Amino acid sequence: MQPTEQPEGRTPRDELADATAHGALYLRRLRQRQLALSLFALIAFGAIVGVLPLAIDVVPELTRVELLGIPLAIWLLVVPLPPIFLILGALYARRADALDETFRELVRRR
Amino acid sequence: MIAILAVAAVTVGTVGLGAIGTRIARTTSDLLVASRAMTPWWNAAAISGEYLSAASFLGIAGLEMQNGTTALWQSLGFTAGYLALLLFVAAPLRRFGSYTISDFAEARLRSPRLRGLASATVLLIAGFYLVPQLKGAGLTLNVVTGAPYFVGVLLVGLVVAVNVGLGGMRGITYVQAFQFWLKVFAIALPACLLLIHLGGLPARAALFGDEYPRAGAHGLVVQIPAPQPVTFPAATPYTILVSSHGAVTARTFHAFAGELTTLPTGRLRLPADADVPVSSGTTALPGRDWARPVGGSGERSPVFVYSLLIATFLGTMGLPHILVRFYTNPDGPAARHTTVRVLGLLGVFYLFPGIYGALGRVLAPQLYVTGATDTVVLRLPEAAWPGTVGNVLGAITAAGAFAAFLSTSSGLLVSIAGTISHDVWPRISRERTTTGRVRRLRFRLAAVLGMVVPISVAFFAQGVDIAVLVGWAFALAASTFCPLFLLGIWWTRLTAPGAATGMVAGALVATSGIIVGLVLGEPGGVGGALLAQPAIVSVPIAFLTMIVVSLRAAERGSPPDAEMLALHAPEGLDLPETGVRDPFVLGESATRPRFRE
Repeated sequence: MQPTEQPEGRTPRDELADATAHGALYLRRLRQRQLALSLFALIAFGAIVGVLPLAIDVVPELTRVELLGIPLAIWLLVVPLPPIFLILGALYARRADALDETFRELVRRR
Repeated sequence: MIAILAVAAVTVGTVGLGAIGTRIARTTSDLLVASRAMTPWWNAAAISGEYLSAASFLGIAGLEMQNGTTALWQSLGFTAGYLALLLFVAAPLRRFGSYTISDFAEARLRSPRLRGLASATVLLIAGFYLVPQLKGAGLTLNVVTGAPYFVGVLLVGLVVAVNVGLGGMRGITYVQAFQFWLKVFAIALPACLLLIHLGGLPARAALFGDEYPRAGAHGLVVQIPAPQPVTFPAATPYTILVSSHGAVTARTFHAFAGELTTLPTGRLRLPADADVPVSSGTTALPGRDWARPVGGSGERSPVFVYSLLIATFLGTMGLPHILVRFYTNPDGPAARHTTVRVLGLLGVFYLFPGIYGALGRVLAPQLYVTGATDTVVLRLPEAAWPGTVGNVLGAITAAGAFAAFLSTSSGLLVSIAGTISHDVWPRISRERTTTGRVRRLRFRLAAVLGMVVPISVAFFAQGVDIAVLVGWAFALAASTFCPLFLLGIWWTRLTAPGAATGMVAGALVATSGIIVGLVLGEPGGVGGALLAQPAIVSVPIAFLTMIVVSLRAAERGSPPDAEMLALHAPEGLDLPETGVRDPFVLGESATRPRFRE
């Protein structure tokens, strides 16, 4: 559903400010987009972290193969994940800010 | 001596910075939310500083030494918790403008009764988290200076109560930021020097091979302060030295593999390269098993690892002392960017505790005998470098540990005092209107009162495991506040009865799991793992209860449009004020700053 009809001289911002049904619809679409973004990031996170315990448990090579004298599983657990969290978080924050900005422009237009 | 000076310096520095904060903190709003004017870097360092507690600074390394590299999942979960917070909670909650979790519960679901339940849960989680901090302080001071246990508990308790009462949040924000960097320095410097000094990890057979921790080339002498039941993993001769009336008597025994015996008070002498006995209750692990991050039963099983990851991932957002910090951000986007910085800062810190656990296994095996693996971060430098260098580095880690207790306790006490003065007190007192002065006085009194109970409990809880209390706090937070936030922020049909029932159900399942596990003496297998960390069961139960009860509600109020607007509308639209009216800012400065014009 696309809320398109606007009474003369009113912006969607006015609808939001007056808490009309129109305004609520606009906001719902923003909320759904933000939630979809968050869930997407969550799935990316879950795919990386969720697989790791099972992989280490099931694949014996991960504990047998060593890198610089330390088993691969310990490297996997300690080194790559925090930077991945940081990158994932930074990308998410940028996209979320952009969604907010798009919404601001959308509701300000005449 | 150096260690005493270092601990004193940290304590004085904390009080001093707090005093500077006191001069700046004049209004109630300053006290509680630092007038919401902190920049993301200050806030991120402060959040990280507040978050890194006894469990992070001492607990992970100790658990790793004792239980193997499975402990490292904990640091992973502790970091990942901020990702969950970032994705679902940070910006909406900041925009909503409520100061406490209780404010959010009441305003979002229009239910004063839910506020009561939320406040009780806040006090419970924060109180249980405060006790192990005080306990850690008592133990650390005992290790470093030989002072009795209660001295450290009282010292940290008093310093924190005075500091919070006078400086409140604004003073504390600078103190927390300072303490974060202190903690990173204190854990990183000795770890790096040790690795350089040793040229990597020594005694690899004990770490990753088939060996148990060994006594070393010159044997090992361990002081046994009280009769100590131990298990010998392998057959070995050992000598017990007991001194009485100035004469030392030595008796030699032969332990067989798997022998369980009680060592008397005195000194234990093990011959060169003997396998070190472990205090009963823990299992001696050969290197290969110790180094496996997952695999096996009980607390090494995949079920336990997943449950722990869920508890830490979802529990972080429900820790009251962390959430309160997000209100010091000026707006929603700032809250997001603060959280991203926290992810970076924590990632740096958590590189280091694992090094202590691994080196402790090789260099300080005597800790296995007395079961004092929790002190490995404090003892390792002296075990590696007997003499001045070890003393100085040991003093540095002790100072870092003290910073951990001070900062986490401060944050928890701010939450407790805020909840008491803001939620509990107005309900009890009959006065209808209060001035800012009265509210500030209440906050300060609540800070003192809020410390009395945890100090008293810490006196009696000397034997309670830090990891048990911390794990329970995370499981409880993940089973109560996490579903309240996720559903309350993103789902319009959540009702107050649904939220209340779900919180109670989650709390009951989480608590009873841990209590049953303790009563049964930590049984093994999948069941034992679930009892020790019930989040994988209790969190879904809490979510399902909230959803089912909300959907079955007979009468449905008007949709929460105004609340959703307050939670999700971006800044800069110049919308009328919605969400929670801020009782602290009102009357002092009537408008809340809005972002970006």
